[in-house]
Amino acid sequence: MTPELILASVGCAALCYTLGRHNRALTLLRWHFVLNAPERQAIESLRQRMELDSALARQALDAAERAREANRVPDALTVLRVALSILEDAGADRLTRLRAMGVYSRMVRAIQPLPPPGAGSFRGPGLRAAASLAGFAHRFLVGTQERFRLWLLFLGLGVRIVLRGGRRFAVEASRQPRLGRPWDLFARGLSDFEALDASHLSAFEALAASLAAVDRGGRLRLWDRIAGDAR
Amino acid sequence: MNDAQLLLAHAVKLGLLAVLAGVLLRGRLRLCWVFPLYALAILAGNSLVTLWPARFYNASFWVLKQGVYDALKMALALELAWRALGKFPGAWRTARVVLLALLGFSTAALFLLTPRSSYRTLWEWQPSVATVAVWLLTATALLVVWYQVPIHDFQRAIMLGLAPYLLVFVTVLDLLRRHGWKLRAEVGLADSLAYMGVVLFWTWAAWRRSPA
Repeated sequence: MTPELILASVGCAALCYTLGRHNRALTLLRWHFVLNAPERQAIESLRQRMELDSALARQALDAAERAREANRVPDALTVLRVALSILEDAGADRLTRLRAMGVYSRMVRAIQPLPPPGAGSFRGPGLRAAASLAGFAHRFLVGTQERFRLWLLFLGLGVRIVLRGGRRFAVEASRQPRLGRPWDLFARGLSDFEALDASHLSAFEALAASLAAVDRGGRLRLWDRIAGDAR
Repeated sequence: MNDAQLLLAHAVKLGLLAVLAGVLLRGRLRLCWVFPLYALAILAGNSLVTLWPARFYNASFWVLKQGVYDALKMALALELAWRALGKFPGAWRTARVVLLALLGFSTAALFLLTPRSSYRTLWEWQPSVATVAVWLLTATALLVVWYQVPIHDFQRAIMLGLAPYLLVFVTVLDLLRRHGWKLRAEVGLADSLAYMGVVLFWTWAAWRRSPA
């Protein structure tokens, strides 16, 4: 095999894979969202969703702890599993939005800067270590877009760390329901999830503000040029 | 040129006429100006060789027409990149750097490492030129997906047709390099068959109605 044949094969495979999966209609929809999204409304609806998820998970955990204190162990475990399923659903929603934010962040010219990630708001050691590492890496990145994507990466990792911990502590609690440690760790995970949600909302606000920075006339002109190709 | 090759060459001619008619009648001309020029150049080269073989079926004409095709392929890749990314300042800035680096590096490599172009040594320089064209198209495709830029289905079809054909072209040249001129007829036939496939794909893409 000659180097040219290898290079041409790799190039051709990369092209066919990427363009084969390229969905023009979906891309146009994304651009339509970027250029027409009602910013305040989107932030408010996300804030409400996060508050609702947090309230439901906390209520379920409180109910599980009350049942445990009243020696109703099977009830306590059932409600703990409900709290875990709420966290899992919310986690899937956050991960989907983080992916979408990654896509949209490439469509704007600049992103409003965010502070570096820090361990201060988190309690779990895994999450604290990831936040410290992300804060360290943040110093080596210059562009606000790269820093924003580092934030998204950290938030995605954070959600996965919390969910993995939550599943493990729920299993431990069902094995040894009288032991307080798994319950405390689950509660700590929930508070970390709330801290992650606060950062998630800040990142979303930064992205929305950056999208809004394109003036209305400019947005419409850009949309006309993008959509004009469809005709 | 044997009968099978001649038949395929005539079929490619008809296919290219159908592509050009589709491009004109379906209003695809504004999507890529270089593509019809490239198709016309192929059509002209094909017609001259098949209709006046005594005059044009020779090594010097092959090198000349291949040079024209190569230049048009490069121009085609650059125009597609400009059309896809030119409207987006951030993406276009990155694209310019990537494409210039690719062109600069490959020109230097071709100039320094490959011998002077001739028909007898075509497998020493043609694969490099075809590989550069593939990578110009690939770089554009990767940037289109990275920046989530909407490109027209016809522009996508041009890239999806040309890159695999160029890979076949590099492969047949490699066969020729390894087995020598005794495989010339078979290799020529394989190349023509692959090109016929691409032309059929482009015909479909050119005539296909755009989804509403």
